[in-house]
Amino acid sequence: MSKITKSSTAEYFAKNLQQVGFSSPLKAVLTTLKEAVDNSLDACEQQEILPDLEIEVIKVGTGSTKNTDLIKIVVEDNGPGIDADDLAKVFGEYLASSKFGKGQCSRGQQGIGISAATTWAQMTNAKGVQVVSKTKNMKKAISAQVDVDIKTNTGIVKNKEMIDWKNKTNGVRVEFLIDGRMQLNGDGGLLTYIEGTALLNPHVAMRYKLADDGWKKTDRVSTISPDIPEATLPHPHTFKLGEFITHSTLYGKTALSKFLKTGFSRISDQSIKDFVKAGMPKNLVEKPVSALSDEEFKKVFQAIQATELMAPSTRSVLTVGEDSLSKSINRLGKVDFFSVMTRKPTICDFKPVVVEVALARFIDRGDEQSPVQLLRFANRVPLQFDKSGCAITWAIESVNWKSYGLGQPKESLPFGPYVFAVSVVSPFIKFKNASKETIDASEELVEEIRRALMQAGQKLSRHIKSEMKEADLERKLAHIEQFGPILVEKLVLLAGANDTRKKKAEEGLRKILGRDSEEAISQLEEAQSKLAAQNKKEAKKSGVPDEDIVASENEKAAKSKKTDKKKKK
Amino acid sequence: MALIKVRELRLDIPKEARNLAERMLKDLENSKRPYLEAVKTSLDNSEYNSKVGYLTPGDKVVRTELNVSSVQKLARVVFMLEILLRNLDIGAVNTKRELYYICKGLIKGNTRYKPLDFDGQDESDSIIDFIGDMLEVYREELNCFANDRGGQTYSQQLLVTETLADGEKANIDLSTLGTSPFQPKNKPQSLKLKAKKKIDFCLVVESEGTAGTLQAMGFTKRNNCILMGAQGVPSNGVRGWCKLIENQLDVPMYFFGDLDAYTMQNIFRTLKAGSAASLIRNGDFSAPNVRFLGVLPTDIKKYDLPHYQVKESDPQEARALKKAKDALENDPFFKDKKNKNLSDVLRWLIKEKIRCEQQSYFSVDPNDPIKTEKIILEKIRKGDYL
Repeated sequence: MSKITKSSTAEYFAKNLQQVGFSSPLKAVLTTLKEAVDNSLDACEQQEILPDLEIEVIKVGTGSTKNTDLIKIVVEDNGPGIDADDLAKVFGEYLASSKFGKGQCSRGQQGIGISAATTWAQMTNAKGVQVVSKTKNMKKAISAQVDVDIKTNTGIVKNKEMIDWKNKTNGVRVEFLIDGRMQLNGDGGLLTYIEGTALLNPHVAMRYKLADDGWKKTDRVSTISPDIPEATLPHPHTFKLGEFITHSTLYGKTALSKFLKTGFSRISDQSIKDFVKAGMPKNLVEKPVSALSDEEFKKVFQAIQATELMAPSTRSVLTVGEDSLSKSINRLGKVDFFSVMTRKPTICDFKPVVVEVALARFIDRGDEQSPVQLLRFANRVPLQFDKSGCAITWAIESVNWKSYGLGQPKESLPFGPYVFAVSVVSPFIKFKNASKETIDASEELVEEIRRALMQAGQKLSRHIKSEMKEADLERKLAHIEQFGPILVEKLVLLAGANDTRKKKAEEGLRKILGRDSEEAISQLEEAQSKLAAQNKKEAKKSGVPDEDIVASENEKAAKSKKTDKKKKK
Repeated sequence: MALIKVRELRLDIPKEARNLAERMLKDLENSKRPYLEAVKTSLDNSEYNSKVGYLTPGDKVVRTELNVSSVQKLARVVFMLEILLRNLDIGAVNTKRELYYICKGLIKGNTRYKPLDFDGQDESDSIIDFIGDMLEVYREELNCFANDRGGQTYSQQLLVTETLADGEKANIDLSTLGTSPFQPKNKPQSLKLKAKKKIDFCLVVESEGTAGTLQAMGFTKRNNCILMGAQGVPSNGVRGWCKLIENQLDVPMYFFGDLDAYTMQNIFRTLKAGSAASLIRNGDFSAPNVRFLGVLPTDIKKYDLPHYQVKESDPQEARALKKAKDALENDPFFKDKKNKNLSDVLRWLIKEKIRCEQQSYFSVDPNDPIKTEKIILEKIRKGDYL
């Protein structure tokens, strides 16, 4: 019989790095950057610090593996810093996380990512991560190299020294040297990642240098650090029977009613009465949970599931908000118009979820003939691979975008110079894989995303329709000018008529078509006033001063006067 | 120089066009919206009476009234009408493609006409078709001819007399053409037919190649017949030619083609009863007495013919099946009780999802090069057709 050995967690991940986002040189670079940025942003948010990130991803040589470059990835933040004693744990040990299973919407969850990046650096370049860290309490910054001891799943700190770190009071700087390849644009591109991160994190300011491009920066558009929601009590509808019974063991001899009220959110005295109505045996209400049989648990559980309860607390999920999204969109380029939609939190697959959608048309990116650029997010982290299997993609393809004025091949992404950003936030997002690239497409979640998209689409269509009516009017006016005279000329010729008749016919034609263009003008005005009403409503929400609206209204009015003039001509 | 008339037309096209222009101009002078009306050429305006034998138009019309959206179409119609009238006047003929380029040339020569410019031939074609449907005249009567595709005919008995444009007559004895076939023009009404000897039947074969094979193996030598290749969906030339044979010679006519939904609806139905797109001309361009000789569903078993499952993943096949279902519901030809045996074939095809090609007869006895001929003759003799 072969000997059964036990391997360490680090050993497992070292052998299976492809599962956590290191399946190709391209992905390795993006994943490393992503893990470092995620950690920085999470750390800043926890201390309510407005993050200033400095990011550098450049080629510094040839990689040790075939067809790769040696890539340097540096991420520096102004976060709280990491204590010297914790460096080994954070960067060199798998599953050492402050966030695991907490029920919070943080970017990182399990404590795998950054240790995997360290392992990748170690495996391809024989050196782990180079870290500089300073907390407010430290006089000098600590600089060290952290490696993963694969055999024991512990971090090893090497070349430790204390240094003066510019004038920085606190922060962390990580530097990885890894084998990889860089791609800037497209779905898996580094720039796409930076833009996505900027979009969903209005409070982040970044300076970045990618490949041969010079340093660029994107300023923050919000000075409010997002409130990380407290981890609230679990909602009973998010449980399965087994979990429910296990959960009860923590409560010992507590009466069932008290267990339900204190162990879960959204259960009140009234709810208990409702459970009884739904079939929970009344005699169990005051019975200690430790004395309940499995059969009784099942009855209680079924009654709870059959009863309508308030949706899980809004506080357990966080949203970027329509206002901040609207501002953030402008960081991606010159926006023509946009529409944002934040749905109310709801339950999908037993988990609280919030979906946010931002649709924007750009003047300086994309074109009419290509599919829209899709940015997917889970807990505000961009998802950049395996688009086709994702719940977000499915939801977009299931919407009939033609009815909102966009071109769309059957069951595909719509076309046009648009960015479609869809964000799903939940303390427990179900991913298809550990590298967090694709959100599992359950029917409920797809439907929820679809609704958000449709609401955003309706808002968008007001812009598009107003534009279409404008084009329609323009076309109609052009038609009258261009085709009218030809029609009359040829009819006169065919009928052998004289000039007097020609003039009379021309007058008649103008009268007839004038009526039509008046109708088109009034249709345009109606579409414009609908759009203006929507803009006003949106502006009120985001607190744009009234003058701006008035100004834009004036612009519109001037435009429609112009068409009036044209008509009179 | 006047061309040979396609049919006895009571309508004077130039006069009709003048009246039309006069009426439209008057409307304009009175600030009334002028309009054009044309027969609606679509299946939902098609009627079928087995006694008439072909699809005829119902009373639906397409009405185009002047407004800001239609002014382009109306301007294009009168623009094209002027070109066609000029052609009639000087006796010039053109194909649709040539007319497309004539328009381009005229537009190039006058910047005012630029807005009329056609983006593609389909745009100018639809204007020409509209004019035909509006005046209820054939495109040939507007001197607009199509390429004469298909209809290659072999016979040892058939004599054709063609009246030429200058009144001269040309006599053609098909038995003297060697291996060359006779090919009809799509104004077959200028032809007179005669049989040297009694002709027993006329066979129209879907595949041009198979018709050629039958001929090469001596089909017309052994049989007193007319043998014709249809080359797929029959062109106006083929349809008019079959009508002429039916009218002037009174011989039984059989169609031999593939057993599939496309052949049944698009090829055979068009040959026998015309099409919805050509409602106004089906009377002269269909041969209502033609019978479907095969491949019949029963032939597959009887001759153990190799056949294929229709791949529904193939968009073309899927479309043909969908169209077949649609035809059973909406096509007055297949809905008519008299054609139940034909619609039964469609139903069978939809149910079995099988297709069997005409060439599969060659599998029956691979060593006998004229086995297909034998089967065809046997089927005719036994009345094994629909």
